[in-house]
Amino acid sequence: MVTVVEPSVADTAAPAGALVAGPAGSTAGITGGGAAPAVAPLLALSGISKAFGALKVLEGISLEVAPGEIHCLLGENGAGKSTLCNLVFGVHKPDAGEMRLGGELYQPKGPADALARGIAMVHQHFSLVHDFTVVDNLLLGQERGILDRRGCAAKVRALGEQYGLPLDPYAKIDDLAVGERQRVEIVKCLMRSPRLLVLDEPTAVLLPAEIESLLQVCRRVAAQGCAVVLVTHKLAEIKKVADRVSVLRAGQFVAKSDSPATDIDRLVRAMIQRDLAGLDAAAASTLGTESAVEAPAKAEISGERQNEILQVDGLTVHDTQGVTRVDKLTLIVNRGEIVGIAGVEGNGQSELGAALSGMTRVTEGRFFVGGVELTGASPKQITAAGVGVVPEDRHAVGCITDMSVAENMFLNRMKSFTRYGFLNRAGLMSEARELMGRFDVRAAGAEVPFRSLSGGNQQKAVLAREITMGGLVFLLAAQPTRGLDVGAVEAVFSHIRAACQRGVGVLLISSELDELISVADRIVVMYRGRIVGECKADPAERDRMGAMMAGHAA
Amino acid sequence: MSAAPASGAGAAAAPVSDPKSASGSAPGSAGTPQRFPLPDIGVMLPFGAVIAALLVGVMLVAALGVPIKDAIAAFLDGAFGSAYVITESIHRALVFALIGTGFVLADRANLTNVGGEGQIAMGGIASTAICLYGGVSHLPLGLSFILPMLGATLAGMAWGAIAGVLKAKGGTNEVISTLLLSFIGVWLLYWSVQSTALLRRPMTGSATLPESLEIPDATKLPVMFPDSDFALHIGLPLTLVLAIVVAVVLNRTLFGLQLKAVGLNPTAARRAGMPIARNIILALALAGALGGLAGAMMLQGQQTVLKAGFSSGYGYDGLVVGLLARRSITGVIAGALLFGFLRSGGINMEMVAAVPTALVTVIQGLIILTIAGIAFITEKKGRAA
Repeated sequence: MVTVVEPSVADTAAPAGALVAGPAGSTAGITGGGAAPAVAPLLALSGISKAFGALKVLEGISLEVAPGEIHCLLGENGAGKSTLCNLVFGVHKPDAGEMRLGGELYQPKGPADALARGIAMVHQHFSLVHDFTVVDNLLLGQERGILDRRGCAAKVRALGEQYGLPLDPYAKIDDLAVGERQRVEIVKCLMRSPRLLVLDEPTAVLLPAEIESLLQVCRRVAAQGCAVVLVTHKLAEIKKVADRVSVLRAGQFVAKSDSPATDIDRLVRAMIQRDLAGLDAAAASTLGTESAVEAPAKAEISGERQNEILQVDGLTVHDTQGVTRVDKLTLIVNRGEIVGIAGVEGNGQSELGAALSGMTRVTEGRFFVGGVELTGASPKQITAAGVGVVPEDRHAVGCITDMSVAENMFLNRMKSFTRYGFLNRAGLMSEARELMGRFDVRAAGAEVPFRSLSGGNQQKAVLAREITMGGLVFLLAAQPTRGLDVGAVEAVFSHIRAACQRGVGVLLISSELDELISVADRIVVMYRGRIVGECKADPAERDRMGAMMAGHAA
Repeated sequence: MSAAPASGAGAAAAPVSDPKSASGSAPGSAGTPQRFPLPDIGVMLPFGAVIAALLVGVMLVAALGVPIKDAIAAFLDGAFGSAYVITESIHRALVFALIGTGFVLADRANLTNVGGEGQIAMGGIASTAICLYGGVSHLPLGLSFILPMLGATLAGMAWGAIAGVLKAKGGTNEVISTLLLSFIGVWLLYWSVQSTALLRRPMTGSATLPESLEIPDATKLPVMFPDSDFALHIGLPLTLVLAIVVAVVLNRTLFGLQLKAVGLNPTAARRAGMPIARNIILALALAGALGGLAGAMMLQGQQTVLKAGFSSGYGYDGLVVGLLARRSITGVIAGALLFGFLRSGGINMEMVAAVPTALVTVIQGLIILTIAGIAFITEKKGRAA
C-alpha cells in the first residue's frame, strides 16, 4: 500500500491548515513562493497556459501540491478548473509551462500515462458499466486475463473499512444510488494506491450526509500521505477540509490561502468579484454557507380557488416495470406562487416532472393547467397550453447538444422562424443573440454548438427558451440549479422570480433543501411517490422537513 | 506499460475515463462544421483515400502477373474510352447518386437505409407494369414515361415507409427491416418475371426467357442530345435537380432541421413538440422514393426489359456511396461518379486484361476502410483538441 509520507495527526474535521507547516498566517500572494509547504511538493506546475482555439482557458498557472495535503480549487464554472485537472490527468497537453511530479519532469502522454505515474481522477461524470457489478467494474481496467473476483471483493471491503467507503462488491451499479456510484469511482482510484487523487466537483451530486462522509474520506486519504486536489465551489466544504485553497477566475489564480477557514470572505470576493453579504439568498445557498440561508420575504399566498393554475388530482404514475412511482398525488400551485417539492432523489420527483411535461404516461388521476385538462396530452399540447419545462436531465431532454445555441434556444418554436417551410436563419440568429444578451448566456456566438457552452450557460439558455415562451402560465423547473455556479444560480432564480411576479405559477423540484427554503413560498415533501407533508419555507422548519424526507411522518 | 507506480495494484492500460466529459467541459472547442453542405476537409478526405486505394489496386494487379500497363490501359479504355462507355458510366452513376442521396437524407434522422436494392426492385416492377400494361404509351406531354417513373417512385416510397412504420411504431431496427425488405423486393421481382400471370412475356416457345416484354419506345427515357454520340437521357438533369432539392431541404427547411433534431436526440425533440414518428416514417419513405425512381431510370433508361438480377447490386453500391459521402450531397455526386467509372473500367479490365472484376470490389472496400480510418483519426483528434 501507500507509504505514509507524513503521518497526520489531523482528524476528519481538523482545523484547516494543520498539515501545512508554512509560516503561520502566511501571505496570500498570487504565486505561493513564500508559502511553500515544508514537504517537497508532489505536484508542481509552473507557468501553465492552455488555449482552445482563440479562447485562453488557462494562463500562467503555477501551483504546488504537497503529499498529505488537501488542496481545493475554487472557481466558478468556466474558470478553468476542469481544464486544469484534465492537464494534470493527461487528457490535454499544456501549451506552455512545465509540470513536475515528485521532482521529475511530468509530461503525460494520456490518462493511461497519468495513471501509471500514480495520478487518479474522479470525473464529474462517472464511467461505470451499469449492467456490471461493482467488482466487475473495478476489474475492467485489469491487464491480465484471469479475473480474480474474490480477491477484488476482499480488496473493496478492506479499502471500504480503511477509508469509510462501505460498498457491496457484488451489487449491480444500476441498483446503487448516486453517492454509492461515486464511492465505486473513488475505490477504483484508491485501488491503484495513487500519489495524487483529483476529484472534479465530487459533491455536486451528493446529499448533505453523503458530502460529509466524502469529506471524511478525503481527509483519510490525505492522512495516508496522498495528495488530494478537490475541485469545488462550496465554501462550507473548504472550511471543513481544505488545507490550502487556490481560487481560479478566468483562467488565472486570483487568490491563494493557506488558512482558508479564516479567509472565506476574501476567497469569495476573489471568486465572484462580489461580497457574500450582497448575494441573493438562493445564490448564497449554493455556496453551502449555512449562515447565508435566510427566508426572504415571501409573497402572500392567496387562497382563492380561481387563482389555481396547476391542479394535480390523484396522479399515479407507474414506470415501465409497473412499479408505482407517483402514488395518488394531489397538489395545487397558484398563480404567482413558487411551490417547492423537497425530497431525497428517487422518491417520484422525476416521474412527476416527466408526467407533467407529457413525457410519461399517466396511469391514473388527472392534472389541469389553467383549468384545461392536460392528462395524456402530448408535449406539444402541453407547451401550447402555456407550460414551460426546465427538465431535470438537461442533456437528455432539454437540449440537443450537437445543434447550435440558436436552434436550441427556439427548439420548441422553430415554426415561428419559417416561411413556406424554409428557415429564416438570419432572423433566428438575431433573435437568439437578443435572447442570449437578455439572459446573459455566454457563448462564442449564436451559431456555435450548444455543447461548447458551460453547464450554467446551457441552463440559462434552456430557461430563457421556456420562460420567454408565448402565453406562459406555469413553469415546471426540475433541479434547475444542479451543477451551476453562484452567478448562474442567482440568474436562474431571478428569472424564475420575475416570471412569478408576472403571475406565472412555478413548481420547483429540488433536492437542495436550503435552496427551496430561500426560493419557494411553500414546500411540500415527497416520499415514496406521495406528498407526506407541507411546510412554510422557513429555516425553522428545516428539521421537520428533513425528518419527512427520511420517511418519518410529520 | 512504462514507469509503473510503486504499488502492487495492476496498472491498467485502458483508463475508463471518458474523454467525452473532457471535451464537453472545454469551452470554445467548437465542433467541426461537417454538417454543412459546403466542401470542407470531410469532403476532400475521400479523394486521398481513393488515390491510395487505386495504388494498392495497381499493386494487386502486378501481383497477379498482369502487365500493369495493359491493365491500366484496359481500365481507362473501359471507363473513358468511348462516348458509349462514358454514357454507360454516367447512367450507372445516376443510380448510385439517387440511392446515395436517399441514404444521406435518412441518415440525417440517424436512420441507416440499407434497403436500396429492394427499393430499386420495387421501382423496376412498378415501372415495368405501368409501361407495359398501364396504357400510358400513347399519352402526350411526356406522360408516357413520366407516369411509370411516378409509379416506381411511389412503389419505392411505400417500401421505405414500411420500414419507417415498423421503426416508429414498434421500434424495429431499420437496418434489419430495410435489409429484409430488400430480399423480399428482389424475390418479388424474380417471381414477377417467372410467372406469365404477372410480368413475364407470353411463352411462345420453350426458349422464352423469364423476362418481361421490352417496354414501348414512348415509355423509354428521352435522350438529351439525339445527334451526339453521348446518348445521355434526361435522368441526368433530374437526378441533379433532386440532389440539390434534397440538399436544400436538409439544410434550409424546418423539415430538415427536425430530421436532424430527431436523429440527434429524439427525447429532446419530442419534448420540444416535434413529430417523431412522422419524421422517421417520412425520412425512410423519401429515401425509398429515390430508390424506386432509380429503379425506373434503370429500366426505362437502359435495360428496357425486366429480368432476374435487374437490380445488379446497385442498391448496395449506392449505399456505399452514401456512406462515403459523409453526410454531404456534393460527396454523393462525387462518389457516384467515381464508382460509376470504376465499375465500367473494372468490367473492361476483366474482358481485355483478364483481371478479375472482383478487384474493383476490393478497391471499393479499400476506399471505405481508408476513409473510415482517416475519419476515425481526425474525429478523435477533433474531440481531444
